[in-house]
Amino acid sequence: MTPLQRAWALYVRATARFPAVRSIVPFVPVVALWAIVAYAGVFPRAFFPAPGDVVRSFGDLIYKGILPEYLEDSVVRLAVGAACGMALGIPLGLAVGLSRRAHAALWPPLLFFAAIGDIAWLPILLIWFGFGLTTMTFVIVYTVLFPVVLNTALGVRSVPTELHRAALSLGASRPRVVWEVVLPGALPNIMTGLRNGLGYGWRALIAAEIIVGTSGIGFLMFDARRAGSVVEIVVGMIVLGALWYVVDGWILAPIERATGQRWGLVTR
Amino acid sequence: MTLPRAVVRGATFLAPLAALFVLWPILIRVFDVNPRVFPDLPAVALAGLETLRDGTLVAHIGASLGRVVVGTVLAILVSVPLGVAMGVSPVVSSLLTPLFRFFSVLAGIAWIPIATLWFGYGFGAITFVIFNAVFFIVAYNTLLGVSTIPMPVRNAAASLGAGRWAMLTEVLLPGALPNIVTGIRTGLGFAWRGLIAAEMIATNVGLGYMLFVARDFYRTEVIVLGMIVIGALWLLIDRLLLAPLERATVERWGMVRAG
Repeated sequence: MTPLQRAWALYVRATARFPAVRSIVPFVPVVALWAIVAYAGVFPRAFFPAPGDVVRSFGDLIYKGILPEYLEDSVVRLAVGAACGMALGIPLGLAVGLSRRAHAALWPPLLFFAAIGDIAWLPILLIWFGFGLTTMTFVIVYTVLFPVVLNTALGVRSVPTELHRAALSLGASRPRVVWEVVLPGALPNIMTGLRNGLGYGWRALIAAEIIVGTSGIGFLMFDARRAGSVVEIVVGMIVLGALWYVVDGWILAPIERATGQRWGLVTR
Repeated sequence: MTLPRAVVRGATFLAPLAALFVLWPILIRVFDVNPRVFPDLPAVALAGLETLRDGTLVAHIGASLGRVVVGTVLAILVSVPLGVAMGVSPVVSSLLTPLFRFFSVLAGIAWIPIATLWFGYGFGAITFVIFNAVFFIVAYNTLLGVSTIPMPVRNAAASLGAGRWAMLTEVLLPGALPNIVTGIRTGLGFAWRGLIAAEMIATNVGLGYMLFVARDFYRTEVIVLGMIVIGALWLLIDRLLLAPLERATVERWGMVRAG
C-alpha cells in the first residue's frame, strides 16, 4: 500500500464516521490554491483578496453587527416569502391538479407567468410599492409560488385514478380522498417544487436586494461594490453559498428524499 | 373533419392566454386604472409597434439573446469535458462533488457585484454571469451523470475491447447525456433570470435595461411589453427547445442508468 492509498483509506473511514467531513475537506486545497495565487500577487490584491483578508473582514463585519443583522433580514424575508408562497401555492396546485377544467384554463397562464420570472417584475413593482419590503416580499412570494403550484399540480395528476376510485368505493368522502390519497401522493412533488422554488427565491432575493437596496446580504455585496471593496463582496458570496449549501444539502434534500421514500411509491 | 392533434393542442393551450388578453382592457375600463399603475392593451401594442419600428426592441432582444448564446455555448463547451474528466475516477468525483455543489449553489446572480468589478459594466460582466450560472450546474450534473454509470457497464465495455475513445463516446457521454441536458435546462433557467437582473444593473442595452429605464419615466406600457417579451421568449426556449430535447435524450439514453 502506498502512502497515498493509506491516506485515502483513512479519509474514507473518517467520512463514514463523520459525513460532515466529506463536505469540508475538498475545500481545503481550493482555499490553499486561492491563498497561493493571492499572495504570489498574480492579480492585484485590491481585485483579488487573500483568504486572510476575507476572514479578517468577516470578523470585522460580525463585530460591527452588520453581517448578523443583514443575514437575519435576508433569511426572514426568504422564510416569510416561502411560507406565503406555499400557503397560496399548495391549495392552488391541488385545485389545478384535481379539476380538468381548471387545468385547461389555468395551466397555460401559469406557465406564462412562471416564464416571466421574478426579476422582470421588479421595475413595475417599484412603481407600485416603491423601494421597500413589500416589493421584496412580492418578488419572493412570486418566485416560490410558481414552482410549488406547477409541481403540486403535476404530483396530483400523477396519482393513479384507480386509487381515487378505490378510496371512493371504500366509502371515503371527497375531502378525505384529497387529504389521505391525493395530498400524500403529491407530497414528493410538492417537496421538489418547494426546493426548486426556494432555489430560485434565494437568487431572486439577492437580485432584489441589490436593486432595491435597503438591507440584506445582496445589499451588503452591492454596497461593497460601490465602495470598491472586493473583500466584502467575497465575504457576502461565501456567506450566501455556505448558508444555502447547509439549508439545501442538510435540510431540504433529506426531506425530499424522505418524502420520496415514504410516499413516492404511490406513483408507481 | 378532424384537425391535426398538434393544432388542437396548440389552440387549447393558447385559448386561455387569449382570454387573458381580452379580459385585460375590459378590467382596465371597469376599474378605471391609472395608466401609470397599469397600462391598457392598446398602449402596450402601440409601444410594441413603435419600438419595433425604430428598431430598439429588436436591438434589446438581440443583445440579450446574444449574451445568452455566447455565455451558454462557452459554458457547455468547457463544462462537459471537464465534468466527464472529473467523473471518470470515483476518488476524484467524490472529492469534487461538494465543491461543485457549493459553486452551483452560488451560481448566477450572486456573482454580479464582483463580475462588474472585474469586467466593468457591459458585455463582459453579463456574459460572465451567464457563463458561470450554466458552467457550474452543467459541470456538476455531468459529474453526477458519469459517476452514476454502473461500474459493470464500464467494465463490460472495457473487456469487450473498447479503447479510451470508444469508452468516452459510446459509454460515458451517452450515459451522462440525460443528466447533462437536465443540467443545461436548469442552468439556463438560472442564467435567464441572472441575465435580466444583470442587465438591470450593469448595461445600457438589453431587455432588463429596457424595463429598468422605462421605470425611470413611469412608462408602464414599455415595462409590460418587456415582461411579455421576456415571458414569451423563455416559454419558447424552454418548451420548444429544452423540454423536447430533455425528453428525447431521457427516452433514448435514460435506460443506461436504470440498467
